[in-house]
Amino acid sequence: MAPRSLLDVDDLAPAELVGVLDRAVAFRDALPSRSLLAGVPVLNLFFEASTRTATSFTLAEQRVGADVISFAPGASSLGKGETIADTALTLHGIGVRVIVVRHHESGFARRLADAFDGHVVNAGDGTHAHPTQALLDLMTLRQEFGRFAGLRVAIVGDILHSRVARSNIVGMTMLGIDVTLVGPATLLPDAFASHGVRIERDLDALLPSLDAVMMLRIQRERISGGLLPSLDDYTQRYQLNRARLRSLRNDAVILHPGPYNRGVELTDDVLDDPRSRYVAQVHNGVFVRMAVLDLLVNGAAVAA
Amino acid sequence: MKTLIRGGRVIDPLQGIDANRDVLIENGFVTQIGEHLDAAGVRVVDASNAFVAPGFIDMHVHLREPGQTHKETIATGTAAAVAGGFTAVACMPNTEPALDSAAIVSEVVRRADAAGLARVYPVGAITRGRAGAELAPYHLLADAACVAFSDDGSTPRDARVLRNAARYAADLAHCFISHCEDADLKGDAVMNEGEASMRLGLDGSPGLAEDVIVARDLLIAQDTGKAWHIAHVSTANSLELIRWARGRGVRVTCEVTPHHLAFVDDRFDDYRADSKVNPPLRDARDRDALRAGVLDGTIDAFATDHAPHGLDEKAQLLSAAPVGFTGLEIAVGAYALALPELGLERYVTLLSVNPARILGVPGGSLAVGSAGDVTVFADRPWTVDARLFRSKGKNTPFDGLTLPRRALATVIDGAVVFEHGRVLPREEVPA
Repeated sequence: MAPRSLLDVDDLAPAELVGVLDRAVAFRDALPSRSLLAGVPVLNLFFEASTRTATSFTLAEQRVGADVISFAPGASSLGKGETIADTALTLHGIGVRVIVVRHHESGFARRLADAFDGHVVNAGDGTHAHPTQALLDLMTLRQEFGRFAGLRVAIVGDILHSRVARSNIVGMTMLGIDVTLVGPATLLPDAFASHGVRIERDLDALLPSLDAVMMLRIQRERISGGLLPSLDDYTQRYQLNRARLRSLRNDAVILHPGPYNRGVELTDDVLDDPRSRYVAQVHNGVFVRMAVLDLLVNGAAVAA
Repeated sequence: MKTLIRGGRVIDPLQGIDANRDVLIENGFVTQIGEHLDAAGVRVVDASNAFVAPGFIDMHVHLREPGQTHKETIATGTAAAVAGGFTAVACMPNTEPALDSAAIVSEVVRRADAAGLARVYPVGAITRGRAGAELAPYHLLADAACVAFSDDGSTPRDARVLRNAARYAADLAHCFISHCEDADLKGDAVMNEGEASMRLGLDGSPGLAEDVIVARDLLIAQDTGKAWHIAHVSTANSLELIRWARGRGVRVTCEVTPHHLAFVDDRFDDYRADSKVNPPLRDARDRDALRAGVLDGTIDAFATDHAPHGLDEKAQLLSAAPVGFTGLEIAVGAYALALPELGLERYVTLLSVNPARILGVPGGSLAVGSAGDVTVFADRPWTVDARLFRSKGKNTPFDGLTLPRRALATVIDGAVVFEHGRVLPREEVPA
């Protein structure tokens, strides 16, 4: 039985996860008919600004024939907890069957799903989870290597504030990928080590052994927040740049969930490097989201 | 007026009594304790197959009045207290306005008297408005019935202010009660910092936020000689610091809550605020240290930190929901659930003897001449249904759990204020 909602990657069993990726590949190779979700009202509810994810979802919804409604309430009073249940009830009453939601607070999608009698897709909640991003990352890795088990992947940067990292940790470890987290202790507390992943502070020592390196965005406000002394100090140890690219194997790939900060976590050399998979990630995102919507609404039995 | 508590197993640690005895209360005071006392013409409380103890005192509750009567009133809070087996409560000063003047404290006392249920001992503020800057008028507050001082809910950030407060109030026996939490280290945390907060993507407050303030306050206690009480201890390190301070001669006591003894920080997977509390529920290592601290005598008192809120307030998102939950009506059973190996003598010491001693209030013993405050309780499993609470706060992480122990009757000044599941306002005691 397909899950009712996708709040994080582990709402999917490993076989289901692979099934979603298979279906996404099939959609990429040959677009399905627009009857998959024909007439299903899907609401994109983005409390937080988003370009890539919101556009990607909208395109995915249109390609499977959903009736797409987009609403960007911002950080309005709708986000207050006492109205979650009322909001969910109202939206269901209107006829919405799927809500794709992004919110600045961890757990919002979960709270909404508990109250909503339909499907909820988490498009990013606080620093907690961003499952479709993790799925598209996994799709990109499988496209590259044809397997998951035994791949060595490093996630580098601000793990503490990254919902992308959290969902990738869940998904990657579920599929047998060997995950190492890299960053300074202020952005990567030791407590992450108990997730079945390793912590490494020395990126240079790790780079030559990697199949893939995922760079995370570093926000300048981490300096004013007292988590980084300066961007220069950070980049000296953790920036992927021309010198470090030389340590990376030729058959390795570089991932970034975007948006990236040129000159901070990476330099232009990285974006120009043939090992960079940024465009493939974004491209795969649409098909992963089509597959997720199809799974939730139509279940696993519907062939792509 | 005469009341006889008949046929129970009396647990009175100060008198060294653990035996079946009858307790006779006349005109508000214990007048006899013995076997087969004459019951003719007296009100009888049947305590057969139950325990009889000097009245339980909860030295840390929030009655929310004045200012937040939608959460609780002195009347509903004291009804919850007696229904939970407590004959007295100490109410914290983080009301609106704060308990920082004799007039406000006197009003609390007046309303408590009008409610006619549990005894209410106000805790005065350490700083005016609990703002951490100006000293509160300690002698006036003491004259108005305050039994201790605290800025509970927070702590003065400025150590100089706190030191001056302790020096100024040094001639009063009233202890200072510390809410140990460094606001800067805590930040926007909604739970404990640890594996669970990392996994859930929630801001966590490190145990260090408590430990540094415990260390600071113990050093100020040492420096000033003031008697100090550390509220709701939640970390293993805090206990170590308290042991260290005692070894140096510091006059320090401490309390622990039922929720910190019973739960750890794995309760946020549903992102609901039901278990959001300050200090936050910690990890298993800290919880185990707290349990050990009760058993080895480091922890002096049980206290609920009863902190009622409206259901709608607690239903908000984690970031917006207020901290704390109701505790008075589950406490007797919750402590027994968390520490089934705890002996009855020590249990009564933590709930009655020590709170009375720390606060310097009547109670803690059933010796002839003592106040006629009695708690009758028994090992009878019951399932918590928070909807039935007398407190306006209907939120507790113990909701739905089966607890092994419960209060059966509560007697204050010889007046039966709770029995057979009913709360009965105290009758006037004839002079």
